[in-house]
Amino acid sequence: MSILKTDNLTFKYSVGTPFEVTALDSVNLEIEEGELVAVIGHTGSGKSTLIQHFNGLLKPTSGKVIVDGQDIWESKATLKEARFKVGLCFQYPEYQLFEETAFKDIAFGPKNMGLSEKEVEERVLRAAEFTGVTSEMLDKSPFDLSGGEKRRVAIAGVMAMEPKILILDEPTSGLDPKGRDQILHLIRNYKNETGSTVMIVSHSMEDVARYATKVLVVNKSKIVSYDTPPKTFSRAEELESYGLDVPEITKVFLELKKRGLPVRTDVYTLEFGLNELKRLREEGFKL
Amino acid sequence: MSNISIGQFFPGNSIIHRLDPRMKLVLTFIYIIVIFLCKNFYALGVMVLSLFVIVLVSKIPLKIIAKSIKPILIIIIFTAILNVFYVDKGNMLFEWHFLKVTTGGIYTAVFMIVRITALVVASSMLTYTTSPTLITDGIEQLLSPLKFMKNSVHTIAMMMTIALRFIPTLVDEFEKITNAQKARGADLETGTLLERAKALIPVLVPLFITSFRRAYELAFAMECRCYHGAEGRTRMKVMKYSKLDVFASLFILISTGGVVALNILFPHLI
Repeated sequence: MSILKTDNLTFKYSVGTPFEVTALDSVNLEIEEGELVAVIGHTGSGKSTLIQHFNGLLKPTSGKVIVDGQDIWESKATLKEARFKVGLCFQYPEYQLFEETAFKDIAFGPKNMGLSEKEVEERVLRAAEFTGVTSEMLDKSPFDLSGGEKRRVAIAGVMAMEPKILILDEPTSGLDPKGRDQILHLIRNYKNETGSTVMIVSHSMEDVARYATKVLVVNKSKIVSYDTPPKTFSRAEELESYGLDVPEITKVFLELKKRGLPVRTDVYTLEFGLNELKRLREEGFKL
Repeated sequence: MSNISIGQFFPGNSIIHRLDPRMKLVLTFIYIIVIFLCKNFYALGVMVLSLFVIVLVSKIPLKIIAKSIKPILIIIIFTAILNVFYVDKGNMLFEWHFLKVTTGGIYTAVFMIVRITALVVASSMLTYTTSPTLITDGIEQLLSPLKFMKNSVHTIAMMMTIALRFIPTLVDEFEKITNAQKARGADLETGTLLERAKALIPVLVPLFITSFRRAYELAFAMECRCYHGAEGRTRMKVMKYSKLDVFASLFILISTGGVVALNILFPHLI
């Protein structure tokens, strides 16, 4: 059974005014449990609007959002449940830290769920471990931490709610390459160990290629593709028409193909590319 | 939330839009004083008529003008009711225990309604047709003859400009943080007043911190561009009075003259 489903989801801003804009246009989508979905799309394509529907922050103008088999807008209780089932971590989450210590900040979500103190503590420690937040950092004020550390504390704050679906809006923006890799690694580890579904909004095709199991392409308020990374990136021209890019390595292979080499064009990681070149050499091509 | 627009500027290119902001400020000020000097309906009629001309010339939709009155509707109604019952003049229309309604009361109430409405519409005409930056610039220029406090005038004007500029940014930020905390299960809508006030802490703390951070960044950026207050600072756009401003002041002058004459001619309210 799919963990997340939308049924003709349509959302319009400023309904009934001259400024009415359709941000989502009958979106139908089904996401299986345990996937690591990368959401890509040009700025203003509707990605952010879409993810804010999954935990009920935005109410669809028409259509349904079904989380774990439950229509989230059925009642107040189902909506509240959805808030905890779907953990949403916004862009630059470090700007929402507010508590005296990192520990308390991470505990904010679980506390709101009404868990016992012991359970809250367990969850905080678990989330801290996933995100590499040390016990020393937990006792500090979140404002005394470095940028990357703040980011990890903020992500831990959402993880501690142990949502079935974890959604992160550009979790790596503004970080240096090392910090970026750390964050993406911890997200993947979290997914592998808890078996939960993860969605990441990203602009880096390299990251998408390396970490995602599925790619969701949003363009002009519609979902235009939902497929595996190789299948998605083999349609480079189509992606470009949406104002999107493909990984550098894919570009190299597309160019090789153009110049007459019989290579595959769905190459999307370095290792994959290397194997493809090896294969060519074995087949007798001089490289 | 995002449709809040303080200063409520409506860009346009009408005659009113093109007037010098200093002139607009001074004329609005004079207009408001004259409104208070009106002693009878005829004089008030002149002011309402001239305001009507200004509104038409400005090409601001009447619907938007009406919107400017909405926030003070309660004050208007309250003033009207008070006047109806407290003014005891003219013919008695209605009496019930201590409540008395007289024709004088009704007239005064109507007079008040018209006066307050004209007042609000006139001042919103200023903010509708002048961008907040121009208004603060205008104020700064008008106050600049006060040499001994020139620097502080500039500082205050700059502060006002920055404050106005950042209101939409803050509103955006507030929404973002609210959503982020809601996503963590924060309940901002239900509970007692105290509970709801407490629930705002997770939103307000980050909002303040962000504002401070932004203030530092802005100050740094301003210093990088060699900003050092008013001393020796020249303007990119120098304000100049034009023929339009002469016409506008003549227009207000004639209305004022009319009011003075009608005040003398008709000493009574009606």
